This record gives sequence, structure tokens and C-alpha cells, in this order.
Amino acid sequence: MASPFPKPNETVALPDPLREAVGQLLLAMADDEVLLGHRDSEWVGHAPILEADIAMASIAQDEIGHAVLWYSLLQELGWPDPDRMAYFRDPPEFRNATLVELPKGDWAFTIIRQFLFDFAEKVRLEALMASAWTPLAAAAAKVRREETYHLMHSRAWVLRLGDATEESHRRMQAALEQAWPHALGLFEPTPGEILRVEAGIQPPEAELRARWEAEVRPILEAASLRIPEAEPVYGGRLGRHTEHLAALLADFQGVARSGLGETW
Amino acid sequence: MHVGAVHAPDPEMALILAKEQFARRGRCVSLWVVPAEAIYASRAEEAEELFASALEKEYREPRGFRVAERVRRWMERHGQSLPEAE
Amino acid sequence: MLTYRIHGHTVPVPEQAPPPQEGPEYEARLAEFEARIARGEKIEPTDWMPEEYRRQLIRMISQHAHSEIVGMLPEGKWIPHAPTLRRKLILIAKVQDEGGHGQLLYRAAETLGITREEMVEALLAGKAKYSVVFNYPTPTWADVAAIGLLIDGAAVVNQLMLAQGSYGPYARAMKRICYEESFHIKQGYDAFVALATGTPAQRQMIQEAVNRWWYPALMLFGPPDRDSVHTPTLLRWRIKTKTNDELRQEFVDQYAPMVLRLGLTIPDPNLRYDPETGHWRFSEPDWDEFWRVIKGDGPCNAERMAARRRAHEEGRWVREALAAKAVQRINGGGDGRYAVAGL
Repeated sequence: MASPFPKPNETVALPDPLREAVGQLLLAMADDEVLLGHRDSEWVGHAPILEADIAMASIAQDEIGHAVLWYSLLQELGWPDPDRMAYFRDPPEFRNATLVELPKGDWAFTIIRQFLFDFAEKVRLEALMASAWTPLAAAAAKVRREETYHLMHSRAWVLRLGDATEESHRRMQAALEQAWPHALGLFEPTPGEILRVEAGIQPPEAELRARWEAEVRPILEAASLRIPEAEPVYGGRLGRHTEHLAALLADFQGVARSGLGETW
Repeated sequence: MHVGAVHAPDPEMALILAKEQFARRGRCVSLWVVPAEAIYASRAEEAEELFASALEKEYREPRGFRVAERVRRWMERHGQSLPEAE
Repeated sequence: MLTYRIHGHTVPVPEQAPPPQEGPEYEARLAEFEARIARGEKIEPTDWMPEEYRRQLIRMISQHAHSEIVGMLPEGKWIPHAPTLRRKLILIAKVQDEGGHGQLLYRAAETLGITREEMVEALLAGKAKYSVVFNYPTPTWADVAAIGLLIDGAAVVNQLMLAQGSYGPYARAMKRICYEESFHIKQGYDAFVALATGTPAQRQMIQEAVNRWWYPALMLFGPPDRDSVHTPTLLRWRIKTKTNDELRQEFVDQYAPMVLRLGLTIPDPNLRYDPETGHWRFSEPDWDEFWRVIKGDGPCNAERMAARRRAHEEGRWVREALAAKAVQRINGGGDGRYAVAGL
């Protein structure tokens, strides 16, 4: 039987229902990145230290750049173009985990969220680099290279702020309490998971979560932070979001959907 | 060769923060943080990833393309003479 | 907060009182200093310099740095609303560059013996000036495009000149800044043209933005020469190499045609090309308004300063945490002085 997967130099077309299943994964990843990049970019001009402002702006650009990459792959599978996806869908159509739609909060919350997300992205990308679908594997390898800096950056901030002063510890602990349940939602299965796992596209989310916990727990503990016992906040992968997403999208999409113009 | 200074609490943080301030448009092979008594350099095996943007950021280059430079391997941590200050 | 300094540079520690700025020894040193400048040499931080030179540079460079930092706000406001992913990326990169320029300029000023903390405190206390242009509001997306063309265009005209200046660290910072500004103008013009060639609503939006930003762009070059008290000194010592009015004329000559050829208008009924001189004749900005705004009475001064103060206050715990961590690490060894070198 012929392989269902195109060879590397073939077109990226996939047969249904696998195409739809892979699309759901890409959608979740792209939505995660574009919204996180947006939240990160809200710090530009307002960060605690000038150099940190500059670094966070790069991280924001990286995340949005990743989103463009995933949306572009999605487009090759038959979805609308990246700008249509980012600017012309409504909250129930988004498949991001709720973690990334939450407001930026204080620097502690942003750092904790970025840390939890960066390591989740790391384990996901490393798994996808072995994906049976080569365009995805290749894209994952590219993105993984940029993650090196993110991991350094997040880890350094967490280790410094976690136990430096009473106030920094308090804020970081509060941030972790708030973020952790939503971070677990990064591993909520996206529709089509069973099919993707069977086809060798990705390992199960539960496995990714386990790898992620093995990475983040030691760092959080070294930062003197206590990991909450909490139930995951699920729903994001099915389009069920907090009220924050509508407010975010009103900002994000306002000009594009104003009707003033088509091209900018 | 460009040289600068960052406000940071320690050498690792200086490196992390300096990297984006001085090397975000590539053209950087090595980033050194030079203290009075030690040199903290980005690790050789990370150089490729740290300084070569994996995804095109041509949008922030005047000519619309990223300066294409190969990232060379790091010099040894100790034993290299310091570059001239600017 | 520790500062990591360039290896080999010693930051001159200002003496309790500067040496006498008069007398035969001073005059001799001054003559040699001015001869060096006339020869086109660069003055470096450890070279002898008159106190007035140091003071003027600290004033100019710190104002320039503050302008970059405050300048992040009017455009940064539009990052969340950028209408395409590409525009969003471009705008984040551009505002990031402005922060980066501020960083380079604070560093250049620090070589003259002032600290970043002192400069930032002065800004937040309302004691330091910054460019008037950033006290104007950005009510629409089109303002971002107008700034990208007109304000960045004016800044480049100014900065190309400053890159020829006599003080080494400032001139070198300016060269690096000029390179990045060329990206800003290219992208600014791109966004500008997209609106000018877009729907009637987009055209109207960019026209209204031009109407708002034309005179602020002219103001960027500072007061008219006849009112600029600092200019003669700055020229003598090649801190500047052209006057405010000369630069203003250069800007109009380059940028008026760019706006007009798109079929847009400029809010100056006297604007016209003079074939005899080869220059554009134009109306000066309202200098009363200029002085009011520079003294703190512009439409957005209060808002900009409030935003900067808020960011500073809300970030205090972060800086304190990092300082506490640094103390934990240093532990008696070394003096916490570091430099950054890139290859």
C-alpha cells in the first residue's frame, strides 16, 4: 500500500481525514503563538528594564513569526491565509489554550507564562521533529532553533525572580498559582488526536505533558516555587474561552475589521 | 566588531539581555560578557541557534533580506585576547 | 543595578569640582582641543575636554536618549491593533529599535560621567527635555505611517549629520542608529503608500495624519537658528555640523515631494518649489506652540510621563530583585563590573 505521506519534495497535500486532523493541530499551535506574541508585545515600551523590553520584543516577534509559519502550513492544507485566520475569526473559532489569552499581568505573570509555554513548545517541537509528515518535521526543526534563546531567557528570569526578595517570591508564586492550571490546558487533546497519533504525526498529549513536567518542575523548585495541585483548565482546544479572548480580539482585530481598507 | 554595555545584575543575564540589544540582526558570531575576573561567553554549541535566526526576519532589514553570514564556532572561553574597546 | 562597562574604558569620575575653566593652562588645552577637532579627530571619553563640551553633550545625548524611549509610546500604542501580521511584526521591530537606540545613547552619555539612573530620574521628575514631537497624539493607525515617513525621515536627516560629530561614542552610536533608521523609513514609506493608494477612507486617514505630523516633523530640528542659544557652541566644537534651519530645509526638500507626488496635500499654503534656489519654500512651525510643548504643556506630555512613571514604578520590584540576586552572587569577589563585546 502506498504511503499516505508525500515524499519531501512532493506537495504538502494530505488525504482526508488526516488532512483535517493535522490542520487541527496546526491551528492550535498557530493560535497559541499568535496570541502569546500579542500579549508579549503589550510590554513594548513598558517593561521594567530597557534591555528586558528589547528582549521581550524579540520574543514577541519570534512567537508571531512561528504563528505565521504554522498558519502558512495550514494554508497549504487548504485553510485561508494567515491574516484571514488571525484577523477574521471570532473567539469560538480559536483553538488556543486559555493560558495565552490571559492578560499580561505583572512581569512575574508574563515570565511564568512564557516559561511554562517555552518548555511546552520545546517538548512539542522535539516530538514533531520526528513527525511522520515531513513538512511538519522540517518546520518544527526550524522553530526549535529559535527556542534555544527563549529557554535561556525564561529559565534565567525564573531562577532570579523566584527567590530573590520576599516580594518577587510572592509575585512569582501567585503567578504560578494562576498560570499552572491554564498551562496544563496546553496539553488538552485537540480534535483528531487519535488519528494523528496512529499516523505518527505526534505522540499523545499526555506523553508531552509528562515530558514537560519533567523539565519545568526542577527549575521551579530550584527557584523556590511550589507547584500547585490543580485541575487543568480545559476548553481552549474546543473553542471554549475565557472572557479575555473577546477583549483581546477586539484590540487585535479592530483596525483590520474596521472596513476602512482591505490591504494595509 | 561592536562593543557595548548593558545594565544587568550578573553575567548570564547580561548575555541574555545583550544578545537582543546587540545581536538581533545577526552579524554576530560571539557575544562576550567581560567581567573584571572572568569571561562569560555564550556556549559554542548554542552559537548557531542563538545567532542565526531560524525564520526570516527580513521585514526588519532595510534591504528586505537578512544579512547572510555563517555563524562560526566559538573561540575558547579563556585564553583569547580581548577585542579592542571601541 | 550594576553596569557592565566596556573593557578598557574607564568612565571618568567627575571630580568634586571641575578644574578651573580659565587661565593659561586651560587656554592652552582648549586651543589644542579645538585644533584636534578642526583636524577632524574624534574626542574620546578619556581625552581632555572643556566642561562646557561635556555639559552640552550630556544634555544633547540624554535628551536624544529620552526622545527614543518616550518615542516608543505613541507608536507602541498601535502594536496591539496592527492590521496585518506583517505590519505587527514590523511595528514591534521598529519600536524595539527605538528602545535599542535609547540604550545606545544612554550608554554614550554614560561615558561622560552621568549614570543612566540619574538621567532616568531627571526624565521622570520632569526635569529633562525630550523631543516635542512625541508629545503629540496618535489617534489612528495612519499616524503610525505618517510618523514612519515624516518623523523618521526628519530623524534620519538629523542623525546623518550627528554621525559626523566630534565626540567618538556619540558619533559611533549615531552610525549604528542610522543603519537601523533606513529600515524604519523604508517600512514607514511602505505603510504610507499602502494607505495613500488604498480606499478613499484610507486616503483620508493618511491625509489627516499628514496634517497632524507635518509641523511636528519640522519642529524635530529644534528652534530656528536665530533663537537657538546652543547652536554656535555646538557648531564650534562640531557636536553639530549643520544648523537647525539648514537641516529643516534639507528635510522639506526631500520629503515634501514624496508626499505631494502621492496626490496628498501638505498643510502649508506657502509651500512651493523655488526653481531659482532649487529649494522648497515653506512656512515655519508655530514657535509659541513649540516652546509651550517643550516646557511640558503639549497634548500628551502628561500622558507620556505618566506612562513612563508607571512602568518605572511597577517595575521597581523587578530591578530590586535582580539587584538582590547580584549581591547574593558577587559575595565579595570582583566589583560587579562587566562589559559586553560582540564579534
